[in-house]
Amino acid sequence: MSRMLTRKLLPVRNILPPVTKRTSHVHRQRYDVIVVGGGHAGTEAAAAAARVGAETLLVTQKTHTIGALSCNPSLGGVGKGHLVREIDALDGLCGRAGDWAGIHFSILNRRKGPAVWGPRAQLDRQRYREFIQAELLSTPRLEVLEGSVEELLVTDPNPEEPGRHRVTGIRLANGSRSISASSVVLTTGTFLSGSLFVGHTVSPGGRIGDAPSSSGLSQTLRERLGLRVGRLRTGTPPRVLKDSVDLSLAKLHPPDSHPTPFSFMNTRTRCKPEEQLPCYLTYTTPGVERVVRESLHLNCHIQQDAKGPRYCPSIESRVLRFPGRRHQVWLEPEGMTSDLLYPQGLSMTMPPDVQLRLIREIPAMHRAEIHTPGYGVQYDYVCPTQLSPALQVKNTQGLFLAGQINGTTGYEEAAAQGLWAGVNAARWARSLPPAVLSRTESYIGVLIDDLVSRGVNEPYRMFTSRAEFRTSLRPDNADLRLTLKGSLLGCVSSARRDEFLRVKLRLQDAEAALRALTLSPAGWRKMMPGISVSESKNGSLSGMDLLQYKDVSFEMLASLFPEQLSPHMEFSERLKIEAVYKPHCDLSKREVERIQKEENMSLPQDLDYFSLPVSLSKEVREILDRFRPSTLGAATRLEGMTPAAVVNLLNYVQIAERKERMMNRSNAGHQEGRGDDLCARNASLPQ
Amino acid sequence: MLPVSAVCGGIYRAAIRTLRTRNPPLCRRLSSGDGVLAGLADADTIFALSSGHGRCGVAVVRISGPAATTALRCMVGLRKHLPPPRTALLRSITDPHSKEVLDRGLVLWFPAPHSFTGEDSVEFHIHGGPAVITAVLQALGSVPGMRPAEAGEFTRRAFHAGKLDLTEVEGLGDLIHAETEAQRRQALRQMSGDLGRLYQDWSHRLKRCLAHVEAFIDFSEDELIEDGVLDRVDISVCDLQAEINQHLKDERRGERLRSGVHVVIAGATNAGKSSLLNTLCQRPAAIVSPIAGTTRDVVETALDIGGFPVLLSDTAGLRDSPDLVEQEGVRRARERVQQADLTLVVVDSTILPSEVQRAAAVLLKHLESVLTSQEQPEAGRCLLVLNKTDLLPEAQREQLSLGLRGTSGLPPVCLISCQTSEGLKDFLTVLQSTVQTMCADPLSGAPTLTQARHRAHLQQCAAALAQYWRYRDSDLALAAEGVRLALTGLGRITGRVGAEEILDIIFKDFCIGK
Repeated sequence: MSRMLTRKLLPVRNILPPVTKRTSHVHRQRYDVIVVGGGHAGTEAAAAAARVGAETLLVTQKTHTIGALSCNPSLGGVGKGHLVREIDALDGLCGRAGDWAGIHFSILNRRKGPAVWGPRAQLDRQRYREFIQAELLSTPRLEVLEGSVEELLVTDPNPEEPGRHRVTGIRLANGSRSISASSVVLTTGTFLSGSLFVGHTVSPGGRIGDAPSSSGLSQTLRERLGLRVGRLRTGTPPRVLKDSVDLSLAKLHPPDSHPTPFSFMNTRTRCKPEEQLPCYLTYTTPGVERVVRESLHLNCHIQQDAKGPRYCPSIESRVLRFPGRRHQVWLEPEGMTSDLLYPQGLSMTMPPDVQLRLIREIPAMHRAEIHTPGYGVQYDYVCPTQLSPALQVKNTQGLFLAGQINGTTGYEEAAAQGLWAGVNAARWARSLPPAVLSRTESYIGVLIDDLVSRGVNEPYRMFTSRAEFRTSLRPDNADLRLTLKGSLLGCVSSARRDEFLRVKLRLQDAEAALRALTLSPAGWRKMMPGISVSESKNGSLSGMDLLQYKDVSFEMLASLFPEQLSPHMEFSERLKIEAVYKPHCDLSKREVERIQKEENMSLPQDLDYFSLPVSLSKEVREILDRFRPSTLGAATRLEGMTPAAVVNLLNYVQIAERKERMMNRSNAGHQEGRGDDLCARNASLPQ
Repeated sequence: MLPVSAVCGGIYRAAIRTLRTRNPPLCRRLSSGDGVLAGLADADTIFALSSGHGRCGVAVVRISGPAATTALRCMVGLRKHLPPPRTALLRSITDPHSKEVLDRGLVLWFPAPHSFTGEDSVEFHIHGGPAVITAVLQALGSVPGMRPAEAGEFTRRAFHAGKLDLTEVEGLGDLIHAETEAQRRQALRQMSGDLGRLYQDWSHRLKRCLAHVEAFIDFSEDELIEDGVLDRVDISVCDLQAEINQHLKDERRGERLRSGVHVVIAGATNAGKSSLLNTLCQRPAAIVSPIAGTTRDVVETALDIGGFPVLLSDTAGLRDSPDLVEQEGVRRARERVQQADLTLVVVDSTILPSEVQRAAAVLLKHLESVLTSQEQPEAGRCLLVLNKTDLLPEAQREQLSLGLRGTSGLPPVCLISCQTSEGLKDFLTVLQSTVQTMCADPLSGAPTLTQARHRAHLQQCAAALAQYWRYRDSDLALAAEGVRLALTGLGRITGRVGAEEILDIIFKDFCIGK
């Protein structure tokens, strides 16, 4: 394992590799996939597309800001940590980058059950960027171009596929140069018609210090492609000089003494346990509320009606919505050597002089100095119900969207979509059918399904309570759920696949060993006095059964049966978790199967629901027309659908499928089914 | 326990026994206990009465899904060997918990895939009486892993398994629509009134419990969720469990949908007749006021008392009035009393003389005036209800209840207070046994299908709440899963609850900082 770690970490161990591919001109006229944007979604998308085998170009305004953490210097958390683990299981970047850049690791919810553990880390901004850039620049088939995209090149659709348009490439702003591609992934973050707000000042842009993106892109989406677009807002707190803060007045919050890495490929983090930096906790005072109220008239962001998140709200909306309370403020390190602190919870948009007055109302910051003031951002997002579960714009062949452009918030949410959009963009370019992740198998699936089938009306963030199969979608088993699937899609390296297969086999061996240990309840009570195996139980219990008990650990069993169990100590924690959760997961198995069955029945995207010769009420027709669910499963989850409507739709789908099968049969001989040989073809894709 | 027919009584006892064993007392004793799951499985085996709902000689109950064999094993006594497929066997059908015989009928076993739904299926052909049907359905509901089928669910499964031909498939949507509508109307009727409010209130409280646990899971550690949140959830879950269990034990059930035994409430003005009606049907069917003569027309309500259908009518108070409308009301009231199977004569106990003998005399005279046309109150055709006992001194109450019992010529006497519900339980016991004897023919009235469904879902809900305690201290994710399952069970009665709704409560109740 440590060998694995070294191998993975080596490329950035000393210094960044020579940046041969960071160019202002490109080598090719044509790419399989062009990714626009170098944030969390863009980097994962580009890396994933290249891994799957596509010749990929990443276009970003400044290569220097690739992998920048625009807001908080942290990764993971409850729900978000689940996403990071899943991204890692599919060989994405952010988990390994987190292990490289983390300077304060902790598992949130440690006492609340493994299904909701939230791996989280404070990050060193510099190191994170370094890792992502090094990783991207050393990825085969991936090129990076510094530039600004003026517009999308769009043409008539391929008549054999659904959609009204087809994307053929991009046109750059400087010199109006065009580059063609089969797929384009847009990950423009807050830059799509972005405006920055500080006090009364409004300026165009998506992040302070960066040029605004051209308005052409937004125009193409709206006017040329006719996409519905909405507006959302977010904000970021001022950065404070560490030296000017009296940390003795805040509560020290240490990291875990043993950092747990995000990645399944790492057994330790780059940062040594003792090198980790603490966070600090402090609270707002009545003075903070006073300053907010006094400065409301100077605060134009807060007066706008674009929808902001109910979580991660600005300090203004917090004190306005919940007045008379003290609110938490976390002081987080920005990096190993950074002299800044990030005051989590103090996102604000008032004029800079008022910001200073506000933070000085907090005792620990009574002499604080602001390095960069906080600001608000408003930006366009594309209503995500216009996307397919592959994150492709339904009416435009080859155009994929990921990240904040789809109405989400958060690095992890963006990265998850980016990865999946990248995989699908590459598949589209290679004429492979879309790949879909189900909400029954992953948080990424939950995220995408929520977005494309329900839409958003505020920035969407992941919560574990959104996953109805939370007991099976755990951070510990993300590899078992996804790595094999990723490997079949070609987006997982051979090293990870080998490691995964090793782990899977070893886990199976260990479970078999546990199941082979059977004793009567009385026998167990004799071996383990103090264990509450009930007297009335009859029959025999296996080691796996015993592990279900709260006070039994794998280590205890291993000490009783060293010969059988000690070889499996590596997986003691995973085995314990699996034993406790398995019965609960089994309970939901049939429900999972039903959902998967319904998700496998796709509804044609160009269906005219108003003229469909099926008995459906007008209301239901309107709902279906508005949301255009991609599958019967998605239709079932729409609000307002009736059981009768679902059955009628199902009926329609099956008849349509039968007709298609019959047509195919008559064409048989010269064309093989596209889906059947999927695995074989994928398995042979270059790694 | 109420002395209903052996069959019904057995079922109630069995149901309560089941509840007792499945729901631990409201403490956390089990939280550290067996890591093994109790039978709150929400796995997908469904059952339903699949013959008609009206009066019929034979009823067919269908079971489909993986646990169908469990039903065979634990209700038909086929422990070791499953019966030969698709062969009718005459068997006793017993309650899985009390082992009491519910009926003797035909049992058929259809192993997958050769069944209507393509799944393992079992059919019970039983006698068509509502009591038998209710008993069998309730017994099935208490088998782990079983739940009543949703509208059209059998057909839908058959469809999924490719078991329907094209014409059947075409009619499927309409069929499901009709079934859903019927179920919806029935549920709506049942949901209006106190019972509906009760379920809605539970659902609302359960939603809050879940929202607060979810908030604690998704936000607490570095955000501002107060530590007391879970303590409040504990109290709420505890209360809910107690209330649901109490409700499941409660013999007064919701309103019946069709006619059964005609029971008429009669008496002088302002004796509390309408209050009694409202108390019995648990919803304000009649307007109640301290003004004499409030009820002027007959107010009719269908009720289920101990498994028997009852049509309960409240009538205008009997008095001579110059008001023409009221005169008509009184006339109708007398008419009703004449037609009634059973008359509940309500008397304001505060107007009775305190001495028992004189009170008995007053009552006899009063009975005569109420039951004018009946020569002599036939045994079992009348109950005397002395209301407003909360206004009597303790001693007088005692005297009346003891003294009147043996008085010859008087029908059974019940002392109750509609205000405080005092004496209500005893009254219901008497009423139920009277109604039962009256139903010489158990086939009259309608099956209690909706109630069987509600009951099964409530049992599921209560059992799921036990999971909360089992994991409260060791694994909050699994504890929350218990609350979720409970809400799913209740949601089948009150409507589905989505993740967004839970998040809405979270954001309303908490200031989330991150």
